[in-house]
Formats: sequence, C-alpha cells, structure tokens
Amino acid sequence: MKTKCIHKDLIFYLDNELSVEKRTNVEKHLEECADCRDYLVFLQKGIQIIEKEKNPEVSPFFYTRLSARLEEKPVYQTQSQWVRLAQPAFFSLVLLAGIYGGLKLGSNASSPKVHQQATNSIPMLNDFEAEPIESFLLDKL
Amino acid sequence: MDEAQLIKGIQQGDRKSFQTLVETYQRMVVNTCLGIVHNKADAEDLAQDVFLEIFRTAENFRGDSKVSTWLYRIATNRSLNMIRNNKRKRFFQSIEEAFTGGRNHGSEISENRNDQPDQNITDQQRSDLLHRAIDRLPEKQRIAFTLNKYEELPYQQIAEIMEISLASVESLIHRAKKNLQEQLLDCYKKKCV
Ligand SMILES: [Zn+2]
Repeated sequence: MKTKCIHKDLIFYLDNELSVEKRTNVEKHLEECADCRDYLVFLQKGIQIIEKEKNPEVSPFFYTRLSARLEEKPVYQTQSQWVRLAQPAFFSLVLLAGIYGGLKLGSNASSPKVHQQATNSIPMLNDFEAEPIESFLLDKL
Repeated sequence: MDEAQLIKGIQQGDRKSFQTLVETYQRMVVNTCLGIVHNKADAEDLAQDVFLEIFRTAENFRGDSKVSTWLYRIATNRSLNMIRNNKRKRFFQSIEEAFTGGRNHGSEISENRNDQPDQNITDQQRSDLLHRAIDRLPEKQRIAFTLNKYEELPYQQIAEIMEISLASVESLIHRAKKNLQEQLLDCYKKKCV
C-alpha cells in the first residue's frame, strides 16, 4: 500500500535536516510516488535559483561611484520627500472620489419619481430646485 | 591592517582605510541586499548607502561587535526599508490607476523575458516565483533565511546580527522554509509556472 504523501518534508529533505527515520520514510515514499518525485525536482530547481544568482560580480566602479558620493552633502529627506508628494495626491483622489460619488447620488435623487416624493414630503427643501446640488459642487471646483 | 585599525582610520576620516573596508566587504553587502531586493542594480545602490552610513557614523562604532555584524545590520535594515517604500509607492500607484483607468500591467516582465534566450524562460519564471515566495515571508524570517541561504552564515552569527537567541533563529529559519515550501507546493499544484 502506498504511504501518505510527504510534500511538506521535502524542503527539509533537500537541506538534509530530517532524522534518519524520517529520511528513510521519505526515500521509501519517493520510490513509489511519481508526484512527490516531480515535486522534489520542482522544489530543488526553485531553491537552486539562489545558488545561481547569489554573489554577483560587483561593478568595477563601485568604489569610484561611492567616492564621488562622499563629496556630496548627506541627504536625509529622500523618504519624507516622497511621502510629501504622495499624500496630497492620495487625499485629492479620495476627495475626487467623494465628489464623483456625490454627483452619482445626486443624479439618482433627481429622477422624477423620487423628486416628486421629496418635494411633497419636505416642502422647505424647495430652495434646492433653484440651485441643483450638481452645479453647487461644480462651482466649487 | 586589522579591523580596529581600519575603523580608527575611518573615524579620523582616512579615505584609504575606508577604501580598504569597502573593497573587503562590498561583495558581502551587495549579496545580502540582493537576497532581499532581488535586483542587482538596487542591491548596489543600497550597498553604496550602507557604506556611506558607515563612513558618516563611524565614530559611533565601539568595537564590541564585528564590523561584519554592523554591516549586515545596516544592509538588512536598508533593504527592508526599500521594500516598504516600494510597497507604499505601489499602493499609491494602484489607487491612481484605479482612477485613471490603469496602465499596461506586466509589460516589465514580458519585456525582460523577450531579452532572454528561449532556454532561460523557465529559469526566469522559477526565479520570479522564488522571489515572490521570499517576499511574502514575514520580515524576520526573510532576514534569517537570506543570511543563511545567500550568505551561508551559521545560526549563531545570525543570532548575533539579529540580536535574538539561537533558538529563535532556528525557529525563524524552520518557519521560513515551511512557508516557502507551502507557497511552492501551491504553485506546483496549480501549475502556475
Ligand atoms: Zn507522494
């Protein structure tokens, strides 16, 4: 009978971190299970990427560049500068979203049926007819 | 010249000592940053910032830990900061794109792939997959895993750099591998590569 699949042990199997007993079980299972064998190869090739990419050749001008930067004045604001630009942009977008949503709601509310009910039940809001909410908001823009 | 003399030289503003330190440790610092940011140009930029910080704050170095420990700490901190800033930038970009109708997604990856010879496509995809999986690890797991896998540091040295116990390092690396394994298995089952 086929033993239970051991996918979760394989990363530790590759790093030789299993007990002798577990290791024997894994090897026994691998002999009889093609899917676990496939996954082992997939995992091994994935992890091997680290070996291929690590310790790259450092640019020969690394120190020359660094030496030029030593002459510059220290810059402490790179991060906050970005936040200073991004935050107003973000809040402007939120404001625009609010206005757009408001216009949508406004146009729904002025559909004839709803409009009729509203004017009947709340007569003191009649002033709004003189200046629709849309033009009020658009004036502000 | 031993490390103490080198640091003393840098503390006195001696460029020759600084150059010796940079040339001794540049590979190590670039490689550590690369393990976290996955891009060589970014890793070199970060490494430059690391050495500038060393030069400008050398007087604070008391010599109670090794120079490499000091460099590893600054390198991992700066790399994580870059990732956090990029995430923030992407967040604002995605909001902007939601309003402007969006830009052409994925063009960067496909352009990169067009430059690669055919037999490398799979390697590029594997590399993207692995990087995505590493990026999803919690920060402490990511640092411990990177120092262990990219720099091949023993757990004891990682414990000193991260200022945590040996048992914590063992646990972080074990959980990092378990998380990576789960993500790669998920991808394997869904045939995402
Ligand atoms: Zn199996």
